[in-house]
Amino acid sequence: MDYDTYAVDGAEELGPRVTIREANNVAVDFILRGADLAFANSLRRVILSEIPTIAIDLVEVESNTSVLADEFVCHRLGLIPLNSKDVDDVLYTRDCECDQYCESCSVTLTLHARCTGDDVMKVYARDLVVTGGRVNDQVGNPVITDAKGEGCVIVKLRKGQEIRVKCIAKKGIAKEHAKWMPTAAVGFEYDPHNKLRHLDLWFEEDAKKEWPPTKNADWEDPLQEGEPFNYDAQPDVFYFNVETVGGLPPDVIMQQGIKVLQQKLAAVIQELAGGDERNGDYGDGARSPDGPPPGTAYGADGGYTTPFGVGTGNASAWGGGTTPYGATPYGNSGAGW
Amino acid sequence: MKADLPADRFELFLLGDGEKKVTWALDTRVPNTAIFTFNKEDHTLGNLLSSRLHKYPTIKFSAYIIPHPLKPSFDLRVTTDGSITPRDAIVQACRDVVQDLEVLSREFTKEWELKKITNIGRD
Repeated sequence: MDYDTYAVDGAEELGPRVTIREANNVAVDFILRGADLAFANSLRRVILSEIPTIAIDLVEVESNTSVLADEFVCHRLGLIPLNSKDVDDVLYTRDCECDQYCESCSVTLTLHARCTGDDVMKVYARDLVVTGGRVNDQVGNPVITDAKGEGCVIVKLRKGQEIRVKCIAKKGIAKEHAKWMPTAAVGFEYDPHNKLRHLDLWFEEDAKKEWPPTKNADWEDPLQEGEPFNYDAQPDVFYFNVETVGGLPPDVIMQQGIKVLQQKLAAVIQELAGGDERNGDYGDGARSPDGPPPGTAYGADGGYTTPFGVGTGNASAWGGGTTPYGATPYGNSGAGW
Repeated sequence: MKADLPADRFELFLLGDGEKKVTWALDTRVPNTAIFTFNKEDHTLGNLLSSRLHKYPTIKFSAYIIPHPLKPSFDLRVTTDGSITPRDAIVQACRDVVQDLEVLSREFTKEWELKKITNIGRD
């Protein structure tokens, strides 16, 4: 019954380790070691599709005399990245007590532009104005990163044309619609020399010439001449590059991804370990000796805390605890660069 | 086959009324075996749990299948050597992964803060 000593091959014992190669306020490039492929891939998948952000979801078109159809403009509005700072404080509209939407589950932005000059006028994301209350003073602001401070173009107007819309931005995840993606892309590579032969490279004459090594190849030793194929080798080093669209800084995306994955697992633990035996015949059969009494360690949702007194006994990063490394990962990021 | 498609995209990740995250049944043909059905989950959790279970010496078999690509659920089949129930093995696997993620979170925070300091020094 001693399943704590699984597959101890040195590296695994330490758990995952991270080396950040490059970081700034829009991207982080790091190496993940001491994890298996499934772990790394789950992390990648969860970052791509299950981190909550804010995006325009409902548009009331009051006037649109531009050349673009209402639906076209609405779609473009939806794709504009919005600041998702402390999005955990925003409720999902479906969980909110309000009838349709309210200040605690949405952010209202209005756009009103009319072209009066002879030149074609561009309407930018900066022209979206937040009206009404919201949970904090940044959430829902359009992300503007260009030097001129304009943001992306929404429509172009000719003389006399007008657009007046009211946009309701809501919280959601990318599994529902890609507009809620926190990242532009997540770079992911392992085994750059293809030592494990997970890839079967197509080639005309010479695969070596036609498939130039990536920059990650410098971090690993190439296959030696005449080195036999190692059938037992498992991927152990993963190269990540998480690039944000601007709504969330890259470190918050990472931490949120970890949190979402933990909540997924906690839900399974809650279902299987919590409460009474609901089905199956095991009854009071073998139970793990160190198993906690049913339904205690894990709350279904809300303030997630780790049940493990790991290491220094620090509070977990979620729910107001501080990390052992000075500032919390949230809130102050984006500054300092 | 339009009737098979989810009516709304959020049906991919929100449990329906009265729907359970995990249901399971013993496999009567093979001892110490159970098949767990995870609702509103996909490869993210399926592969994570299945491959984690492979690391335990008490697990004889573990694999998952997504029965239909348009239906957001997967079946995880687990056989143990009898010293632990499949259910407890999964719970253990979940705990271990949560623990690993906690380590990852701390490691990342540590590295991030370090990087921040060196970046400021460089500017």
